[in-house]
Amino acid sequence: MQHISEQSSLFKYKWILTFFCGIFVLIASFIASLSIGAYAIPFADVFKLLVSPDDGKAASIIHTIRLPRAIVGMIVGACLAIAGGIMQAITNNPLASPQVFGVNAGASLMVVAGVVLFPGLGSSTLVYFAFLGAAVGGAIVYSLSSTGEGMTPVKLALAGITVHLFLSSLIEGIVLFHETSTEDVLFWLAGGIDGRTWADVRLMIPWSLTGLIGALFLGKGLTILGLGDDVARGLGQRIGWIRASSAILVILLAGISVAVAGPIGFIGLIIPNIVRKLMGSDYRVVLPVSAVFGAALLTISDVLSRFISFPAESPVGIVTALLGAPFFLYLASRGGRAA
Amino acid sequence: MRLKKMHPVAIMTSLSILVLVGAFLSIGVGAVWIPPGAIFNYFAGVEAGGDGYIIENFRLPRIIMSLLVGTGLGISGAILQGIIRNPLASPDVIGITKGAGFAAAAVIILFPSLPVIGLPIAAFIGAGLVTIGLYIFAFKRGVQPATLALVGIALGAICQAGIQFLTVKFPLETNAALVWLTGSLWGKDWTDVWLLLPWIVIVVPVTLFLAPKLDVLSLGDDVAEGLGEPVRKARLLLLIIAVILAGASVAVVGTLGFVGLIAPHIARQLVGNKHIYLLPVSALTGTLLLMVADNLGRGLFPPTEVPAGIFTAVIGAPYFLFLLRKMQKS
Repeated sequence: MQHISEQSSLFKYKWILTFFCGIFVLIASFIASLSIGAYAIPFADVFKLLVSPDDGKAASIIHTIRLPRAIVGMIVGACLAIAGGIMQAITNNPLASPQVFGVNAGASLMVVAGVVLFPGLGSSTLVYFAFLGAAVGGAIVYSLSSTGEGMTPVKLALAGITVHLFLSSLIEGIVLFHETSTEDVLFWLAGGIDGRTWADVRLMIPWSLTGLIGALFLGKGLTILGLGDDVARGLGQRIGWIRASSAILVILLAGISVAVAGPIGFIGLIIPNIVRKLMGSDYRVVLPVSAVFGAALLTISDVLSRFISFPAESPVGIVTALLGAPFFLYLASRGGRAA
Repeated sequence: MRLKKMHPVAIMTSLSILVLVGAFLSIGVGAVWIPPGAIFNYFAGVEAGGDGYIIENFRLPRIIMSLLVGTGLGISGAILQGIIRNPLASPDVIGITKGAGFAAAAVIILFPSLPVIGLPIAAFIGAGLVTIGLYIFAFKRGVQPATLALVGIALGAICQAGIQFLTVKFPLETNAALVWLTGSLWGKDWTDVWLLLPWIVIVVPVTLFLAPKLDVLSLGDDVAEGLGEPVRKARLLLLIIAVILAGASVAVVGTLGFVGLIAPHIARQLVGNKHIYLLPVSALTGTLLLMVADNLGRGLFPPTEVPAGIFTAVIGAPYFLFLLRKMQKS
């Protein structure tokens, strides 16, 4: 008995420690994100100006440009990481993530189509386009990959990448016919958070909070689902309900991220895998820790992206892709089994 | 489905006739419309003036290119679907075309002064490097089909990240790279034909000899080994052949997608799973698909050319969804 309770207290200790390490990294990268850029602001000033802004240039840069950008980045990172975690839980498949599942590509296609076909639309309407696209993309990949005897990692990956390629070609086609906006759209399609404003933050908060809180409630159900459908049913879980609400949460979380920041890849793939490796597969813990780590990774990537073609901005999606693709290779060379 | 009752040879013959007729008619399509009579005159040796010049220098090499590329990609896709044993495998998804694309983008953007011939060579090397990566990461685990596919997808993702990095880091030089990356038969001339022709002519007959191996491999590793087939060796050999076909095709026309995915599916509907028929029919359906896509690209909005790669996707996507529904029903 004592052994068990010791283990669980150790576990509790470990997850709190990891959680606060994540928070610490997040805060550090957040400050770096406010400080580093074409106009460098020393760390010491960042604190001061954050709390009590003066009328100077530095204060206005922090409050109107870098702060909303950093907050959008944290929200997007958290949303994508949670979405990836939920997908990996319900499919029991470490490769599942908004990108591999065609959710990002579907949402992007609808947003690009919306922007091109109805140029007057505001971003609050485009969000619904993104939700619709996310749902359609995800549904296609899900039905493609669950044919035959269940969803293996390889079937999911092949179906996902195929649908991803199809949707991307359609986007390319749309872009080609509207050459005027080519460069903007290409930049957006790489996934970026520069130039995001407080309006974007306000747009994101209700949706992402809904998703976040929903995910916390789902944690227990998802953990039990990991034991297998029969066990979960035996333990009184309503499987259909868990799956349906998971799908809705993923669409909300991934859709709002793509609508605001474009299809940023790999966060939803990497983070939940790392967190599960650290914490085990109790999703009551995995999801919130993933949110913190995801926010931190996206903020760090955003800081790194400023160095690619300094002082010009580069899409953060490039950094996450350069970091994430080798990780994907690592997972793949293990045959898609959990890391 | 009804067609299945026709003998495969009959199907091949009718497809070949269709390809020839399609090729003849598509000579006329483009910014300058050439009536069939004038085309006929050209082939009969009658002096055709300006039309003759267009046919000889622009249309004809382009039609022959679509034949070669359609053949290469179609057969490559059929082989990959055979060895990975998954109907969704294709040169696009397992990273071969992405590798070629990354190498080509790097050459276009970083070494714009390189002679024209350097581009296909670089692209072919890129495809080859991805294959070496596949070998290193997938083969030490016994060349399981699943690992092969996953590693290919991951390598494709790495190349894609590289392409994105290049296009964003060097925005001014990107446009030329983008045209190449979409895949198009635009502006292909006899030089390109001669560049690709030897690969196709030499490799395609070899694939027909290997067709029985593919039949055996598709039964599963255990059965294949029981039948005395050295599974790993056979799979490696076939993989290399698939890479050569796809790599050479893509090296010349750019990352033209979906032909390698869809052509074998159409072929399977027509002649079933026996590879000795499936491979040549995939080549024919690939050619037809590419020809239709290229004609649409040339003919719909003249004088603007839409890359054939867009149309292979636009034609491919609905057909693919149709296939999906069918797969679910069965």
